[in-house]
Amino acid sequence: MQRVGVFVCHCGHNIGSVVDVEKVVEYAKQLENVAVADHNLYSCSEEGLGSIKKSIRENKLDVVVVAACTPRTHEPLFRRACEQAGVNKYLFEFVNIREHCSWIHAKEKEAATEKAKRLIAMGVAKASLLTPQKEGEASVIPVAAVIGGGIAGLTAAASLVSQGIETHVIEKEARLGGLLNNISVIGPEFVETEPLIRRLKEDLERSPQAHIHLESRIVELGGFIGNFDIKIAEGAKTTDFKVGAIIVATGGRELEPTNVYGFGKIPTVITQMELEKRLAGGAAPSSAIFIQCVECRQPGREYCSRICCNVTLKNALRIIRSNPNARVTVLHRDIMSYGTTAERLYREASESGVSFMRYGLESPPKISEKEDGASVEVFDETLNENIGISGEIVVLATPIISQEGTAETAKLLKVPADKNGFFLEAHVKLRPVEFATDGVFICGSARWPSHVTECIAQGLAAAAKAAIPIRGGKVVIEAITAEVDVERCAACGNCVLACPYEAIEMTVIDGKRCAKVNEAQCKGCGTCVAACPNDAMQQKGFTTRQLGAMIDALIKNCKEEAVE
Amino acid sequence: MNDPGKEISRLAFDERGADYLLAVREEYGNAGPAFVAKGEDVGDIRTDIPYQLVTILRKIYPYMEDGKIAVVIRRCEEKALNELIKRGIIDGDRIIRIGLACSEGQIEACRCTDPVPSCVDIGSPGKGWNEDQLSKELSAMSSEERLDFWVAQFRKCNKCYACSTNCPVCVCDHCVLEECTFVAEKGIPPGMAFHLIRAYHLSDKCTECGECERSCPAHIPLLTFRKMTNRDMKDLYGYESGDTETVSPLLTTLEGDLLEEEED
Amino acid sequence: MTDFKPSILAFCCNWCSYAGADLAGVSRLQMPPNVHVIRVMCSASVKPEYVIKAVTQGIDGVLVLGCHIGDCHYLTGNHRTAKRIPLLQKILDEAGIDSRRIKLDWVSAAEGEKYQKVVTEFVEEIRRLGPNPLREVRF
Repeated sequence: MQRVGVFVCHCGHNIGSVVDVEKVVEYAKQLENVAVADHNLYSCSEEGLGSIKKSIRENKLDVVVVAACTPRTHEPLFRRACEQAGVNKYLFEFVNIREHCSWIHAKEKEAATEKAKRLIAMGVAKASLLTPQKEGEASVIPVAAVIGGGIAGLTAAASLVSQGIETHVIEKEARLGGLLNNISVIGPEFVETEPLIRRLKEDLERSPQAHIHLESRIVELGGFIGNFDIKIAEGAKTTDFKVGAIIVATGGRELEPTNVYGFGKIPTVITQMELEKRLAGGAAPSSAIFIQCVECRQPGREYCSRICCNVTLKNALRIIRSNPNARVTVLHRDIMSYGTTAERLYREASESGVSFMRYGLESPPKISEKEDGASVEVFDETLNENIGISGEIVVLATPIISQEGTAETAKLLKVPADKNGFFLEAHVKLRPVEFATDGVFICGSARWPSHVTECIAQGLAAAAKAAIPIRGGKVVIEAITAEVDVERCAACGNCVLACPYEAIEMTVIDGKRCAKVNEAQCKGCGTCVAACPNDAMQQKGFTTRQLGAMIDALIKNCKEEAVE
Repeated sequence: MNDPGKEISRLAFDERGADYLLAVREEYGNAGPAFVAKGEDVGDIRTDIPYQLVTILRKIYPYMEDGKIAVVIRRCEEKALNELIKRGIIDGDRIIRIGLACSEGQIEACRCTDPVPSCVDIGSPGKGWNEDQLSKELSAMSSEERLDFWVAQFRKCNKCYACSTNCPVCVCDHCVLEECTFVAEKGIPPGMAFHLIRAYHLSDKCTECGECERSCPAHIPLLTFRKMTNRDMKDLYGYESGDTETVSPLLTTLEGDLLEEEED
Repeated sequence: MTDFKPSILAFCCNWCSYAGADLAGVSRLQMPPNVHVIRVMCSASVKPEYVIKAVTQGIDGVLVLGCHIGDCHYLTGNHRTAKRIPLLQKILDEAGIDSRRIKLDWVSAAEGEKYQKVVTEFVEEIRRLGPNPLREVRF
């Protein structure tokens, strides 16, 4: 019989203010196989982990159940604690009573407490049947690939190369630089971009470790961390190479306005990118009107693109600096000048005469063409009246939207994108430059609209993360694979056909035909398990007996409730 | 009726080059499967007794290392054999088929819709039935009535496993229905799960041979249940068990219209 | 009948729907407390036997949630789920078990709101259907 320890986390108020943790602990104590049940204010804190480890040793626990938050973020932490206390890390079961209970039933304290009990009963039922597992090891090909040769990708690639790691840069355009090729100066310190890109390019071009593929795109991608196979179409030819880690830095693009504010009809209505070109050419207008939040933060595209306000501040100041008498007006819904440097820009702009006017989503500015520019009528929310202004140009600050082909890239890499088409990192705070898929990393505006400084920071971070498996030379392969009970296998062949990875084959063991799983190819999805009629195929850590026991625990509970 | 044994023996050994013959034979007043090697006396072969010889073939096949085996098979057995060949359990090249057409009475007993084997050697082809009366009645019932009907039927089950033991396409040695991972622990009758799991497992291989229903001592209309689920499989995926080519849709990916529908 | 508290089981795949459920939690989206999630690696690992086990022993409803078609972490795992579950529903219907007690849906890691909607609507549906009649049937 397994000795199970149950540790229920208050997570401060997050769980404790909804679920009656003490009651749940008392309930857990009387569950079959439970040797000890306890609670922690924060199980994931040093103190919480310490007390769990102490309890494992003192109570000679075989299996540990933690009822807290989500395994998707915290499982590795608790598994490590188990290991440190001498328990195989697969003898650990996570019960989610925060995301799946207290947070979503905040107003139903009693029901949430009851549900937490049932979830823990299910968790204990599974935990009692867990068996230790051993992880495999795989070697890592000491080469990285960076998809995208913009500022984020170039920074990541240069960083990898400087660490002596062979790196492939895959760029779809004919030259490196990305969006910065069209932007001459960046805020908030008015740094010129050309030397920035040039230096990175030179670093890469000088290094024998760097391979730059221009006008290239990935056509095929297979494998897993440590051993990815990439096939790219480079111009007319295709090239194959193997890498150990991949950094996605595909960036974003400026939204082309669709028939709003007279764009396309009135020639003096331009986008931020066109303004960048004009300013780079030295032609500052005598007056300009910026309209912020064009086609974003509205139904259909709800997100804030974050960077457009600062870009407007930068360009407003560039106009003022080259022509102090210029009249510059910014029509905005809120100004996002976050951080001390950007805030300084905002102050400088205000003090140098840029006028800021707030409009509402319901009453957007109206534009009409004028002989020497355009005139704008806007309802100023502060003055509460309509105001007419005119300018030589009207600049539409449109958001950064997701890169073309993001869906295809996501599919190739088997990584998620959010509803706006930006890639979704594994965890916004805990794993900001990683994907949930091992060995694939993310940086720059492919993830979310980012400033150049942020792109650089993320590029360096992604490079640092990608260097870990490459430098280590080895990665641990998840132990959760499928395995065949040779005795039971009836060799019906269902699993062979069902496997999406062709990881199963029919073989003969001791004269008996049966299925065989190639563990290196097996990704542990369990598709074969569901296809197996007689339970010969099992997924480690998710066996049919374990999941069956969870269902039994819920059935038992619902029968008891019915009796009540 | 002239002796079918002679004709079968001639077809198997002389004409089609078999080394062994599997057929139903009567001995001492009892009829049962008999396995006869070339040159032996085939004895009193019977073709009027419905018997799933493919079930026997599957069980002895692993011990038959070489030689060609002739089997007297009806249409349902032929389909079961195809399923086994498709799954690699039996090597089709080693099997010689001697087609047997079912009699009117046998067709009626199975409400069989597909009674004629691809090659008729013995008997004369009969006409298949269009539908199963009980299936029709059940389909017309309300969900509650249907549940009542099946609960009453399945309550009669005494978990003797005759249905699975005699099933030509039940290929597992260890059956999950004998354990309590999915079926409620202990107890006779075993409850709904027993029969529903069997229905799901057979959904992509049942040939409607009716052996489960014939062998059920509790007279549960199991063949009707099989026919209903087979019809569902056909309605959903256009799949019918019994050919050597088509892979069960439960094992393949979505394609065409199905894929489009899901993407909406 | 008014105090009918449905017991519902949900299988969520680790990569999409479980993450979607997590997102619903992080976003504090409120929903009825009747759904109990079992985490599986892929919706394709959900054996129809589990669903049969649950509904024949009195669980009022079973949700099977996976990644959207095309987004499966395991390429085409969920294609199998998409074919198994409808057949299972038909088989249950033939036996007189209302197949609306089983629901297959797709929830991505970014669809916390969809998770909330699926759960809320399913609980409402089960309330309308009432307690699982097999909960009371003694064999």
